[in-house]
Amino acid sequence: MSQGKERSRILETTKKIAELIMDHFSKAWEAKSQNKPICWVTVFTPVELLYAMDVYPVSPEHFGAMCSARGMILDFLEEAERKGYSQNLCSYSRCGLGYAVSGMRGIMPPPDILLTFRNSCDVYVKWWQNLHMHLGTPLFIGEAPYVLDYEDLDNYTLDYVLKQLEQLITLLEEKFNLKFDMEKFVKTVKLSDKASQLWLEILKLRRVRPCPLGGRDSASDIFPLVVLQGTEDAVKFYEDLLKEVKEMVNKREGIIKEEKFRLLFDGIWLWYAFDLIKYFEDKKAVFVYEPYSEAWACKLDPSKPMESMARKILSMGLNVDIDIRIQRFLDSIKDYQIDGAVLFSNRSCKSWAAPQLVTAETLREKFNVPYLIFEADMADPRQYSEAQVKNRVDAFIEILEEHKCT
Amino acid sequence: MTLLIDLEELCKSPISILQQYKNSGVKVFGYTCSYVPEELILSAGFQPYRISNIGASSSFLTPSFICPFASAVIENILKNEKYFSGFIAAHTCDPMWRLYDILKKKISKPLFLLRVPHNTQNEMSLEFFKKELYRLKKFLEENSGKAIVNQELLKAIQLCNENRSLLKNIYTANKDGKYVIDAFDRFQLTLASMWMPKLEINTRIKEFKPCTKLIRKVRIHLNGTAIYDLDLIKIVGESGGFIASDDLCTGSRYFWDNVEKTIDPIQGIAQRYLTRTPCTPQGPIESRLEYINFMIKKFKVKGIITFTEKFCDPLLYDSVHLRNYLMKDGIPVTLIEYENPAQELGRIKTRVEAFIESIGG
Repeated sequence: MSQGKERSRILETTKKIAELIMDHFSKAWEAKSQNKPICWVTVFTPVELLYAMDVYPVSPEHFGAMCSARGMILDFLEEAERKGYSQNLCSYSRCGLGYAVSGMRGIMPPPDILLTFRNSCDVYVKWWQNLHMHLGTPLFIGEAPYVLDYEDLDNYTLDYVLKQLEQLITLLEEKFNLKFDMEKFVKTVKLSDKASQLWLEILKLRRVRPCPLGGRDSASDIFPLVVLQGTEDAVKFYEDLLKEVKEMVNKREGIIKEEKFRLLFDGIWLWYAFDLIKYFEDKKAVFVYEPYSEAWACKLDPSKPMESMARKILSMGLNVDIDIRIQRFLDSIKDYQIDGAVLFSNRSCKSWAAPQLVTAETLREKFNVPYLIFEADMADPRQYSEAQVKNRVDAFIEILEEHKCT
Repeated sequence: MTLLIDLEELCKSPISILQQYKNSGVKVFGYTCSYVPEELILSAGFQPYRISNIGASSSFLTPSFICPFASAVIENILKNEKYFSGFIAAHTCDPMWRLYDILKKKISKPLFLLRVPHNTQNEMSLEFFKKELYRLKKFLEENSGKAIVNQELLKAIQLCNENRSLLKNIYTANKDGKYVIDAFDRFQLTLASMWMPKLEINTRIKEFKPCTKLIRKVRIHLNGTAIYDLDLIKIVGESGGFIASDDLCTGSRYFWDNVEKTIDPIQGIAQRYLTRTPCTPQGPIESRLEYINFMIKKFKVKGIITFTEKFCDPLLYDSVHLRNYLMKDGIPVTLIEYENPAQELGRIKTRVEAFIESIGG
């Protein structure tokens, strides 16, 4: 648990994330009190469409991460396990199911509809089916077939997702007596695109030495892109963040005092163990690139809002062919001047973890980049062996030292 | 072509048949999942061969917490790549999806990923799946160097339909509480159908003589995904159980439905494969529960055993609702997880015995 332990320095704008999260949930409850539908979504679903239709989205994945970071997750995990859910299942899903079966008396309002697209993992499908079975809430499971090459973003694969979006709109209109308004939708798409562009610009500034924004910041700063895409709040946050990051760059100020190793981090962060980032930073190692952070940004074309939405659903990080994913890794090595890669083998995210070794091997073959793979869970602190992981980090830093000398 | 095959030996070491194919000049396409239509592989002039986990342990390429079955399938493909003309994987669950990623970086033979929609019961999914089958057809044509004509496809459909009907006849001999066919024999014939030439296995099934000395035991339904290790089937029998029915993709879900005649044969194939009783990762869950309920009634089942590979997410999620659903009717259920059945048979048997005893065996 990272509570009570020394944490990394974070930017002033990052500190506003906590407030933004509280504001998001209070708006969700306000919507609930006004009888507006609450939609539980998995990430990389078309929340822009929901905002445009006055359906309020909340993300149980984000809720799981937040509960874990605040040391409040165990009650929900144990509740799900008492119901029969194995500890080997995704901890976000156990948290969400535990919350659902224990009465939903917390910060996240109960759902009126459940929406997922199968684009990151198949767990989404099972998790959402299970929520539906427990709560009886209407369910929409969308398909987003694996993108085998860029042609899939234009051919029958795209058509398949487009048709499902039409179906989703019809369902929302009929179920909640709503009317889809294209103008409103174009507006949310524009805002979402704006937030994404700002975030990409911020991430690009991490190429600068010293790096102005660290792993602790990026882990938190993605929140607006999780459930606030399409809102003014998200745009405002990234405008402020960009301003601060630019100031850091102008002052040639890094997020850590002395930057010796620039690292790539592959995975979702361990929400209960932010002190692990500090552990790296104390050894002069800073995280400058994470495919995960980049995955949240998606360029959208407001003149083709529905197609943009379908492409966004399809092309999220894990849903594109391994060669495309590996190429992104390889590009980052040069662009961000990466000295080493840290790959988090996440017991909860089998879809991500399964091909990590072949990815790491390619990195080493092409660029001779040292890598560390360690195993733990993103949200369940019981599956984290702190001493063992830190021991491996020590050994990895030694390798990086040697590698720098050769 | 006639191969000298002892079914029991084949099921212990399915890889052994690959050398015979090689010696006979038969070109083989490996596939990983029961959503891959064997008809299309046959019509392209290839012998279909379903890749099992038999003879392999988990691959060092995957983390320890990934389904050991999928990991062993990767290992078997890497070990035996030389016997195959190519491979077809299917996106059904996360490990079977990511198996494609790993293989893409590790093998040199042609590789295809069939994208199977989760939503199996709507027109949009059927249309998409049909297009996936056309893409598969093109891939096979490119690899065989000849076009697949409808006549060949219809012939392959007929052959596969015959195989499925024969297996179903054997299977349903145990309906209404009858003890006619031992589960071990039944599974052996089903598995062999995934590895042997269809004409030959069809002849074997026709010649099959049921054992007449079956003892009345506690009737069990076996729930799960793919089970290739027949020792798991044997120990249920040795523990006082009679596997009257199952919903495995190496069992009844492999043969329960036939391909219907349609003007475009691909339409018929798409319908059969997509709308059959879904596998655990596919949906909706209610269809699977209904199928299990149907099996329980048809085969007069007294209890359900779920055999699951450790880390099989879909089964672990479903098991909660399967239990709740069956408890209403007073049907007892047990879930037994394993990582390496060969090394854990003693423990698994103890669990099976305790379960069967508890329901009056």
